[in-house]
Amino acid sequence: MSENIPTWGLLAQYEDPHSIYQACEQVRDAGYQQWDACAPFPVHGLDRAMGVKPSRLPWIVLVVGLVGSALGLWLQAWTSGSAYPFITGGKPLFSLPAFVPVWYEMTVLASCLAAFFGNWILNGLPRLHHPAFASRAFERATDDKFFIMIEAADPKFDLAQTEALLKSTGATHVEVLEP
Amino acid sequence: MATANPTTLPDDPKLRGDVVLDEQTGGREPLVRGDYTFHDITERVLAVNEKPIAQTPSPFKFGIALAAAGFAMFGGYVGYLIWEGPGIWGNNTPVAWAWDIVNFVFWVGIGHAGTLISAILYLFRQKWRTSINRYAEAMTIFAVLAAGSCVVLHTGRVWMDYYLFPIPNQMGLWPNFRSPLEWDVFAVNTYLTVSLLFWFTGLVPDFATLRDRATVKWRRLFYGILSLGWRGSMRHWVTYEKAYQILAGFSAPLVLSVHTIVSFDFAVSQLPGWHTTIFPPYFVAGAIFSGFAMVLTLMIPAREWLGLKDLVTVKHIENMNKIILVTGSMVGYAYGMEFFVAAYSGNQYEGFTFINRAGGPYWWAYWIMMTCNVITPQLFWFKKFRTNVKLTFVLSIFVNIGMWFERFVITVTSLHRDALVSSWDYFVPVTEVLFLTGTFGLFFFLFLLFIRFFPVMAMSEVKGVMPQANPHWEGYQHGQHGHGASGAVPAGAVAQKDL
Amino acid sequence: MSHHEIQKPTDITIPDTSLFAKLPVIGGVLAVVGLGATLGSAMGADKARAMFSYLWAFESVLALVLGAFGFLVIDITVRSQWSIVVRRIAETMQATLPFFFVLWLPIALIGMHELYPWTHETDAILERKRWFLSTGFWWGRAIVYFVLWTVISRFLYTSSVKLDGLGDNQAEKDKIIKRTWAVAAPGILIYALTQSFAAVDWMMSLQPHWYSTIYGVYYFSSSILVFFAVTTLVSMALQRAGVLKTAITPEHFHDLGKFTFGFVIFWAYIAFSQFILIWYANIPEETEFYMLRMEGGWQWVSYALPVLHFALPFLYLVSRQVKRARWPLALGCVWLVLMHLLDMYWLILPAYGAHGGGEHHAHLAVSWLDFAALLGMVGAFLAVFGFLLKKNKVIAINDPRLADSLAHENY
Repeated sequence: MSENIPTWGLLAQYEDPHSIYQACEQVRDAGYQQWDACAPFPVHGLDRAMGVKPSRLPWIVLVVGLVGSALGLWLQAWTSGSAYPFITGGKPLFSLPAFVPVWYEMTVLASCLAAFFGNWILNGLPRLHHPAFASRAFERATDDKFFIMIEAADPKFDLAQTEALLKSTGATHVEVLEP
Repeated sequence: MATANPTTLPDDPKLRGDVVLDEQTGGREPLVRGDYTFHDITERVLAVNEKPIAQTPSPFKFGIALAAAGFAMFGGYVGYLIWEGPGIWGNNTPVAWAWDIVNFVFWVGIGHAGTLISAILYLFRQKWRTSINRYAEAMTIFAVLAAGSCVVLHTGRVWMDYYLFPIPNQMGLWPNFRSPLEWDVFAVNTYLTVSLLFWFTGLVPDFATLRDRATVKWRRLFYGILSLGWRGSMRHWVTYEKAYQILAGFSAPLVLSVHTIVSFDFAVSQLPGWHTTIFPPYFVAGAIFSGFAMVLTLMIPAREWLGLKDLVTVKHIENMNKIILVTGSMVGYAYGMEFFVAAYSGNQYEGFTFINRAGGPYWWAYWIMMTCNVITPQLFWFKKFRTNVKLTFVLSIFVNIGMWFERFVITVTSLHRDALVSSWDYFVPVTEVLFLTGTFGLFFFLFLLFIRFFPVMAMSEVKGVMPQANPHWEGYQHGQHGHGASGAVPAGAVAQKDL
Repeated sequence: MSHHEIQKPTDITIPDTSLFAKLPVIGGVLAVVGLGATLGSAMGADKARAMFSYLWAFESVLALVLGAFGFLVIDITVRSQWSIVVRRIAETMQATLPFFFVLWLPIALIGMHELYPWTHETDAILERKRWFLSTGFWWGRAIVYFVLWTVISRFLYTSSVKLDGLGDNQAEKDKIIKRTWAVAAPGILIYALTQSFAAVDWMMSLQPHWYSTIYGVYYFSSSILVFFAVTTLVSMALQRAGVLKTAITPEHFHDLGKFTFGFVIFWAYIAFSQFILIWYANIPEETEFYMLRMEGGWQWVSYALPVLHFALPFLYLVSRQVKRARWPLALGCVWLVLMHLLDMYWLILPAYGAHGGGEHHAHLAVSWLDFAALLGMVGAFLAVFGFLLKKNKVIAINDPRLADSLAHENY
């Protein structure tokens, strides 16, 4: 592998959850920051083995949910009580019990939209191209193989040393990814 | 030892999903029968999706042609309906609500099992859901679409339907938020939206699998766009799982609220037979009941034809039968409670309504309902019947019939005896049969397309509950890689945990 | 999840020095004093008030015990694994059910006339209800409930205790466990029917004109909620007393907290469903129930319940951190127990002084008798509960699913 070819990073393949779990612990302990693991399903505990922080998504959902909730109640109070005041069923213009269902649905709708879009935005998706997609081996990442990729942008990245580290963790295949 | 050809059933009968295993007092039965690798799961689940269009199996072509005919007929009927108006139904005072509403409640009820399986079983850590949730979610969405078409059309002047939404307009009118029918608009739309989001979120990793295995360009493009560029990054999985959890957390109460609000359509009135306080939980139980029945009706043939018997085992069917038994009994409790309270109340109108229900002109509808919903599901008290796949199939259809009649009983029999004796009338359907058949056409058409092009099982989730998915699985100490332990049953899943 | 490093707990019997060992004595004294004072007053001029206090205390504590019973039959039927470490607590709670027959007797023998207007009043509506609301039938039904409760609760308790001594005798263990499976499933049906009709008989008929089909479910929601809250508290107290220190982990508290949280929502859902339907339809036979609770000070309780019994605990318990932390979770559970008492108070007490069907005079007035009755009733429960808890192991140590429960992790 020559240093002259532009390198995006290294991709290492593992055969099962057990070996990638141990490999991730070693990569994390070696002090790498800009790296990732790919698996066909969320491997239980792998996020901790990698040292990934918990997601910020719940906070986004909370804020958007509260806004949606307030909007839902305000919409009903304003339209029924002020914009178009009209008595129906002998109920007061502002009848809180009757507003609960729509209030509730608006809260749920806003929260779920936040969870859905927040998920993709935080993950930087959709992103239809990625350097790893150039690898033939990586096609199994959504099937039954497990991968670690370490980016060249990582301050600790050194092609030879990083490759040695990955090989020592039990990788069955290591390749260079181009940008 | 993996099976040589992963698309055929294993030779060992114990590995086939139809053999009933003895229940252990400790541990649990494996969710996936057979000694499979992760790759085998992919192959098996995608076998149907990856067939070239030209090689679509003929029963499938026949099914989709039939459904398409039903759907086309529905289109024609809807045209006729919009042209002539809802007068082409037999609805008339006092039975102003009939099959339109019956079909709506029927379909929206069926639409509840999907989100229930996805959300509530997820929250209760019922891992067996992974084999059936995708299926059930798809069913939910198509059932809600069928339900939606009933309500959209029953307004008569469908081009005025936008007034149901809070859209500013030149007349300064706003919807009446004190009306349960308006609550319904919000509930059903929210439910449809959230179910779609939930379904799609679950599908993304599986679309990525289809993309990565695509051999022709249109597939790579089609699934590539649908998968949003998913690459299985663990950093993504962390947020993804959180999002899934949050969606599940919101969907569970949402599912309850939707049918609760549907029940409010009836129960906020003063009509005996409609106005009773148990309606909300009773409708929810009934919805889950009918939804599970529909999942079984669809899944039993599908697992046979798609060769997925070892992924959807008889244990899954038994579990669903248990839920049918529980929810069927809840519905029975509610029928009983309504009768009891009608008698207990000392209110003659209540009393008359219920006696008329069971013994009046519509006695037959009532007894069909009772037989199919309360009596026959009681067979599921016995393991022998619960694990009998053919019987389950028959009984699941009974439940579908029974639940349609439940809505008929509630809607029509409560209305046909008005408070004014001179307006008593008997309701006769005119062309509604076409309406109901048409919604079935719509439902099955979409459903068969789904089976053909989308993964029917949440592969990433099924893989996640296999014993070797756990990085600390005992098998790894013995040098096995990616396989279950050899033998009839993966050892890690059922072995008694000795202390 | 690696099971190998998890050991079976050894701190499984209550030490003689702990407060739990003294519960029979402490509870007994409380019961004699509290119930003695209440029933003593029931012999005098305050008879009606004393009996209402007594009924409130009885129903509040019975809700806990029935909640334990309901939880247990469901938990066994769904073959739950996570709950094994706390299941013995539920088993012991529901094992006190037979004893509640004794506690129920004063309601039937002393207070029936004061509590239930249908025993002596009459009008056109009550005449049509006579087939159900008659003293003989009412007694008969109660006997049926208690017989069923006694038989099933004793069976479930003794079966579980029997397992403790069986060691590795797998065949015998399987036999016993499969028998409990066979009883628990129909037990759910029996539980659902008996607790609903008991709620109708003893609480709904306090206002005999009023009816609501959801009433049984309402009582269920309250009772299962208080069960989860109290079980959490008992688990924590047991750990302080030096037992199950490692067996019950934050994972189990997290689950107990989730159930508590879930049933806070369920309670609100049921309560709201009943309210909105009656409020919306506005039929006089039904609004009577809420009218009574919207005057004489009761309106403040009616306004407080949705906020204090639902909104606050909801916002508090929604947090994962709270459910996994000892003191914050304990605080939430104590609060919910208090709210349960308020909820039951609101269900029962407004009927006091509202007899006759005509003019209602319901005034919110707390009496010392309420405290006496509650202390006595709780004491009586704790005495039996503490006695049984001390007598046997506090965990089903031989349950085949114990290992899974000990290793339980949330995701």
